[in-house]
Amino acid sequence: MDIVLETEQLGKRYGKAWALQDCSLRLPAGRVAALVGPNGAGKSTLLHLAVGLLRPDAGTVRVFGRMPYDNVAVLSEVGFVAQDTPLYRDFTADELFTMGAKLNRRFDTALAHRRLAQIGIPRDKPVGKLSGGQRAQVALALAMAKRPRLLLLDEPVASIDPLARREFLQTLMGVVAETGTTVLLSSHILADLERTCDHLIVLHASQVKLTGDVSALLAEHRQLVGPRDDRPLPAGIAQVIRAEHTDRQSTLLVRTNATLRDSAWEAYDVTLEDLILAYLGDGTSQPNTEWEVPA
Amino acid sequence: MIWLAWRQHRKQALFTAIGLALLAVFMVPTGLAMRHTFADLGLDDCVSALGTASMIPADADTCGKASVQFNGQYGVMTMIGVLFLVLPLLVGLFWGAPLVAREIEQSTHRVVWTQGVSRGHWALVKFGVAGAVALVASVVYGLGVSWWLTPMSQAGQHGRFNVFFFDMQGTAPIGYTIFAVALGIFAGTIWPKVLPAMSATLFGFLGLRIVLTTLARPHYLPARVVTFPLQDAVEQTNPAAGDWILSYGIRDASGKMVTANAQIACAPEAAGPGGACGADLGITSGAYNWQLYQPGTRFWLFQGIETGIFVAVAALLLYLAVRRVRRLA
Repeated sequence: MDIVLETEQLGKRYGKAWALQDCSLRLPAGRVAALVGPNGAGKSTLLHLAVGLLRPDAGTVRVFGRMPYDNVAVLSEVGFVAQDTPLYRDFTADELFTMGAKLNRRFDTALAHRRLAQIGIPRDKPVGKLSGGQRAQVALALAMAKRPRLLLLDEPVASIDPLARREFLQTLMGVVAETGTTVLLSSHILADLERTCDHLIVLHASQVKLTGDVSALLAEHRQLVGPRDDRPLPAGIAQVIRAEHTDRQSTLLVRTNATLRDSAWEAYDVTLEDLILAYLGDGTSQPNTEWEVPA
Repeated sequence: MIWLAWRQHRKQALFTAIGLALLAVFMVPTGLAMRHTFADLGLDDCVSALGTASMIPADADTCGKASVQFNGQYGVMTMIGVLFLVLPLLVGLFWGAPLVAREIEQSTHRVVWTQGVSRGHWALVKFGVAGAVALVASVVYGLGVSWWLTPMSQAGQHGRFNVFFFDMQGTAPIGYTIFAVALGIFAGTIWPKVLPAMSATLFGFLGLRIVLTTLARPHYLPARVVTFPLQDAVEQTNPAAGDWILSYGIRDASGKMVTANAQIACAPEAAGPGGACGADLGITSGAYNWQLYQPGTRFWLFQGIETGIFVAVAALLLYLAVRRVRRLA
């Protein structure tokens, strides 16, 4: 299996605070991976390290086996859509594509034109005058026209309305199906991810909490519901991720390595959202570290 | 990449061109009118007869009457001319400071630095295009103002070597403009927001200009001293020499300055109401006129030194800016 993105004990620090710490993960080719975490968890930092905008303070990051920092060879294989989809606002989409064609060895202007034509976005209007959703689409078209082998998107849909969001994700999925590009997409809108992603990376408080294939992760987690008393947990539980208790019953989200057989506990499948929230929850509390990272 | 730099900054280039054109609309007719008057008053011949020596015979015609007439008519022009001093600073503020700062402020650096060109390449082309436009604009400006100021300088009141007039003609404005742009770019890499970068440019530019003008420029080369008697001098200072007079006054026989910023030339045997020449000013016999100056013939040498210093500082700033860009997050 080809590894597109690989990090090893990767860390990045702003002043004394670590925005990302001890992050080790591998992203296989062909995946659509979700990078999930609350604000300030280090999502943007990880993406910026992967696209070579930041230099690591600890560990390594490799994209296609090479260090990405200010590395043209890596950059030409990677498409990046930054948070809030910044673009030169006085440029028209056509001018942005001209820029792309001039700054990249490989750039498929026709593809970019086709994309915008499909969703009816004018190419001769300054992008500053387009709606947020349209601008995001232009940014995506600009990134896709590089025909990248890895596409990184930093909260591409965070600031656009639900309808435009769905349209954007549909476009993205269409592109992925056509080209087989590997995608790493950060978001905090969990509902969107369930439909689009087959690989998951959960970041919390600058550390990786969970990473892996979505179906495998769903298969190895269970939600257990049972009466609240001090009865022993069923056999085969590797770890209790989160425990919630009411007066009469306990709800546990557990990682298992075997089939559970214990009639005192009812076992349910988990949803991706349950899983993410459990890992972000830090035991029983809800995520509350909402500090912002200087991006 | 050049296409991108031009596309991004063509508006500023256009404004610069319009500014220069407006300047030309003002300067060409007034410059021609000044030259016309200058010739009509006979100053052309008179001034060229004076030559460029610092001292001329006491009986030479210093073109005084015509000069006064000319300066009376066009003196106000020199005040307008002083406004031109701020032009290099404006270029630094509006060309240089936003160049990197705006990219980072609006996060567009994340778009352009993730295309297929290295940051070093990006920086060199952007800085190169900005520098080239600034260079062309400042050459036009420096030489244009030189042409415009020539009659005023020659008429003696505002020599081209004097502070302010030195600073807005010849090659010096080219150095200032390049420096202002480089300082703006560098400030933008340190404070990646447009307004702080502009303020840093403003203070940095004024700071270095004022320090160099007041402390360094008078000493680029050792100044010369000339002395001549109060009365019955065989020589007088030449208003057409274009000397930069750093200080002057009257010293007594022991060399002590008795009256600063004064010069006396009494006719032979003159005896005013106070008795002997200058007696009412407390000037005793043996006193003499004293003048510390940089000769006008050093004008281009000083222009070269001044330009060289600012271009060198600009080159250093640009080098640091490129380094910063390669390290910026």
